[in-house]
Formats: sequence, C-alpha cells, structure tokens
Amino acid sequence: MEKWDVVVVGGGPGGSYAARTAADAGLKTVFFERGRKPGDKNSSGCGLGQRWWRDYPEIMEDLQDLPSVRKIEMVVIKLVDEHGRLRYTSGTTGSDLCANRWPHGMDGISIYRRDLDPYLANLATSAGAELRTSTLVNDVIMDNGQVKGVKTESGESIQADVVIAADGAMSTMAKKSGLRKRWGGGCTLVPQLDFSCNEERMDDIIGNAEWCWFGSLFATYQVNFRDGMHIGAGQWLRDDWSEKPLDMIKKLVSYPAFQSTLKVLEAKPREYQAHMLPWLEYPPKTYTGGMMLIGDAAGFPCPLEAEGIWHALTSGKIAAETAAWAISKGDASERALSEYERRWKASELGKEFEFGKEWSSIWSASAFDPAAMEKQLQLLLEFSMLHPFSIVFDWGDAHMDCLNQHLEHIMDLAPEFADFGKQYVAPLARGIWPKNVKRILLNVKPKIPGLRRLSDQNYFKVIAKLSKGLAPFLDPNIKQDAAVPRDVYERGVK
Amino acid sequence: MDAESIDFFELVKRVDTDMMGDFIQYDREKCNGCGLCSLVCSFSLWAVKQGKAKLAMHYQGLCLECGACEEVCEPGAIEFSYPKGGTGVIIEYG
Repeated sequence: MEKWDVVVVGGGPGGSYAARTAADAGLKTVFFERGRKPGDKNSSGCGLGQRWWRDYPEIMEDLQDLPSVRKIEMVVIKLVDEHGRLRYTSGTTGSDLCANRWPHGMDGISIYRRDLDPYLANLATSAGAELRTSTLVNDVIMDNGQVKGVKTESGESIQADVVIAADGAMSTMAKKSGLRKRWGGGCTLVPQLDFSCNEERMDDIIGNAEWCWFGSLFATYQVNFRDGMHIGAGQWLRDDWSEKPLDMIKKLVSYPAFQSTLKVLEAKPREYQAHMLPWLEYPPKTYTGGMMLIGDAAGFPCPLEAEGIWHALTSGKIAAETAAWAISKGDASERALSEYERRWKASELGKEFEFGKEWSSIWSASAFDPAAMEKQLQLLLEFSMLHPFSIVFDWGDAHMDCLNQHLEHIMDLAPEFADFGKQYVAPLARGIWPKNVKRILLNVKPKIPGLRRLSDQNYFKVIAKLSKGLAPFLDPNIKQDAAVPRDVYERGVK
Repeated sequence: MDAESIDFFELVKRVDTDMMGDFIQYDREKCNGCGLCSLVCSFSLWAVKQGKAKLAMHYQGLCLECGACEEVCEPGAIEFSYPKGGTGVIIEYG
C-alpha cells in the first residue's frame, strides 16, 4: 500500500498551502484535487484583503500580474430601498492615517479562482509535493478510531501519518471520520451570478473598488474583476430560508439600481454558480486522531464577513507545521494533534473568533434581516442628513430648521433601536482596548466638575467604583492594547 | 436586462456528465416530506410528491454540486457526495 507522511485532501488555496508548507518541511506530501485542475470546482467571492500583504506579501506580488486581477483600494457600499432604488452610497477608504497600518494601506485584489488556485498549487508542486488531479477522495482509513489514510473513488488505499482535510464546506473527510454530520444552521448557501463587462467602462465607473449592495430586500457583494464581476446573495440555511436561490438572484438583477449598473457596464450574464459557505460564531472541533481540518472544511471563514481564503491558507500552514511536529515525535494521536487547535487559537486566526459571537449576531440581525434593514436604512438616511455636506443640500426650509427636523426624525426612530443597541452593539464595547477607554475618559475629565481636580489615577478609581461596566477596563493589571477577556468582562459587569 | 429571460442552465459549463456516477443518495424511508431540499435547490431538482421528496431522474446533468440538499435535510435522508473526479460542473469565473 502506498504510504506518505502527509496526505492533503483538496487542491484549493488551503490544501495547496498546507501541501507547500509540509513539503518545505521535508515531508513526503501528496495532495488530491477532484477537478481536472485546481480551481475547476470553486466558486467564491474572492476578494483578497489587506492582511494578505501582511502575511503573504510574496504571493500578493506575484498575483498582481495574473489576467483576472483588479486592484482594490476600497469597498463602495450602496444602500437600496424596498423598491430597489439607490438611496445612499458610502465608501471605506479610511484617511491617510491608514497608510501607517501596513505598507500597502487599504489595498487588496479581486482574482478569479481559475487564476489563484493553480498558482498556489504550483507553489506546492515546486516545493516537492505531488498533485493528483481528477481524483475524488471519498473515504478515510480508520484504525482504532484514528485516521490512518484515505481511499479514492477507484478503491485505492493511501496510507499517511497525517491527513489534512481541505475538502471544503461539505467535507467528506469530516463526515467519514465522525467529526461532523451537518453544520446545523451554521452554513450559508451562496448563489452567484457572474457577468462579463466592458473593461474600460469598469475602469471608468468602478475603478479599483468592490461594491456591496444592502437593503431591506437583500445583502449582496459585487466583486469586480478585470473584465467582469459577480454578485452573490447568500443566506443562512435556517428555518427562515424562504426563497429559491434563483428567485433571489432574479429579484436582485431586476432592481432599478442594479439594472443601471448592468447597462452602463455592458454586462452580460456569463456563469451561474452556487456554493456552501460556513459562517460560524466559532469553529467546531478541528482535529481527530491522525487528521486535521482546515479552511472551509473546519468552518474557519471570518465570523463577520465570511472571507475564508486567508483563513484557509493560514490554517493550512498551521496544520502542516503541526503535522511536521507530530511526525517528528512519532505521535499523531488525537491528543497530540490537539496541539493544532492550541496553535490556531493562539494565532491571528484565533483572534478572529474572539468576537465571533458578537460579530456574527450583529450581522445576521441587521444585513440579513429584511425588517431590521428597512428600519436601519431609515435611521442611517436621517443620520446622513446631519453631515455638513448633506445639510447644505437640504434647502426645503432654512438650513437650521432642516437640521432640527432630521434630529426629530432620529429621535422618533431611536426607541426602536434601543433593544438592538443593547443586544447587539453594547457587547462589542468589550473589544475597545483599555488604553482607548482611558483616553476617552481623560478627554471628558476636564468637563466633569468635582472630578476634574483629581489625579488621573484617582479619577479612574472613582469611575471604576461608579460604573461596573467600565471597571474591567480600568483594572491596572489588564493588558492595555487587547480586548478585555470575555470572562473578566462578564464578571465585572455582573 | 430582463431577469426572467436569463437562461441559467445555459450559464453552467459541464463535462462528461454521463460519467459522474450516482453522487446523491436518498433514503425514502427517512424523508419527512418537509420540502426544504426543493426550496434550496437552484434548479428545483427535488419535488415533494405524496409527502415524500423525489429527485429528478437525470440530475447529474443539472446539479450544481453545492450540497445544500444534504445540509437542510434534518432527518438525514439525503446524502451528498461528489461526482467522479474530473467530471461535472466546471467553474471558470468563480
């Protein structure tokens, strides 16, 4: 029987990067792809964000030259009312201060998977990993409750010290090893329609941006590539799923705001796809004896916006490093591979899930809740009218009268958001770094009679006594530039 | 652009659909007739008749291979695996 150090199931970004890392560590590595080539079977939004420059700068340099790439410098948010009319546009460039965050500021790219996946697979084969395409791996070899290898559809058995399962949202490896049956409400279905577009029109009208459409009727991304774009309209597969995927897409295409976009871009429907995307508060167990799950198979997409490709590479890297460590010890038992979970939790990947519950709750209760979106749109539109640039153009009455009317509208709408604020927004406050909370408190200190004469230290002591909610942030022993740990915060608030 | 005039079947590229194999297993006994499989399927390949779901006969040439039907099937009557390697849907702009 064939025997490898590491078998990777799946030739997507996570699988390829795991295979590359394993091969670089000197492990005899093979990875399997069910498509005729990597990328053949993959549908995703596929915008790669700023953190790629931080963690994978050489890859990002190379990717810039691939044919489908459009550079991305911002996301444009378009809010549409219940009739599909455009009501509000805003963007996310940040100020010039953002340039200090990383050398590449807010830059990212959009790239089709047919460019990205073969490039990453090539990194793995160049490092010495073997790639087998058009091969479906559909079972695991189990021995005493531990995964000892995999079986292909043709009945071939392949032994491995460690199996890395990178076989996507519907992971056969997770199911066959007994780690999971279904996601149970934690997975979204994303129908996606791709359009070819006039490239010059895209350059002129869209430029270097992704678009996102939000409204009471839908939340959808519009990822812009060099000469095309696609829209995806996902929703959680829960009891309240009420519409056929194609009807969602058709409805979106019909909206006047979107029709204008299609017309001006000379857009023509090019490809229709649907894919599953896990979107969880926190990933379930990611390892068992002899096997680790990575990427979508593990449930790693971001709990806020569900981008999952950076997460796939990063978990793939950690899994392959853990495999090298386990193999060098001669122990790939479940207990040994718990090291994988320890490592990813301690990494940037684990940090993503520190607020997983809060992020995914606020997102599903707003962008994905039609009734809530209708109200939020109203509130946001009223808020937008207070902006100096907006009030200039409200000349229905004297400008100060207009301003007062908008203020009244906000106060009319506010009570409806009290519960939302308490339930979804307030818990996020835990994430504000203690040093920033202190900075805010020091800013208001001179305005508070009775407290303004106290030393800063005594001022914080008094505030901590007066407010249970603020006390955890003012604990002198707490880390200043990290979120207050959940248990410390909850103890304080109680 | 008239959304109703878009032919979504035409927008899916496939290869070797006759070699894909039987990659969706259905256990009629377990089915509770809830119809969720039918609701989430892009091409309506599931239909509920007399309280039981039924999969389209030649689903291989129509299925998008997303797996949503298995995910929503509470009683576990639907088992989705993948078609044979190198066959089925080809995605060029994913």
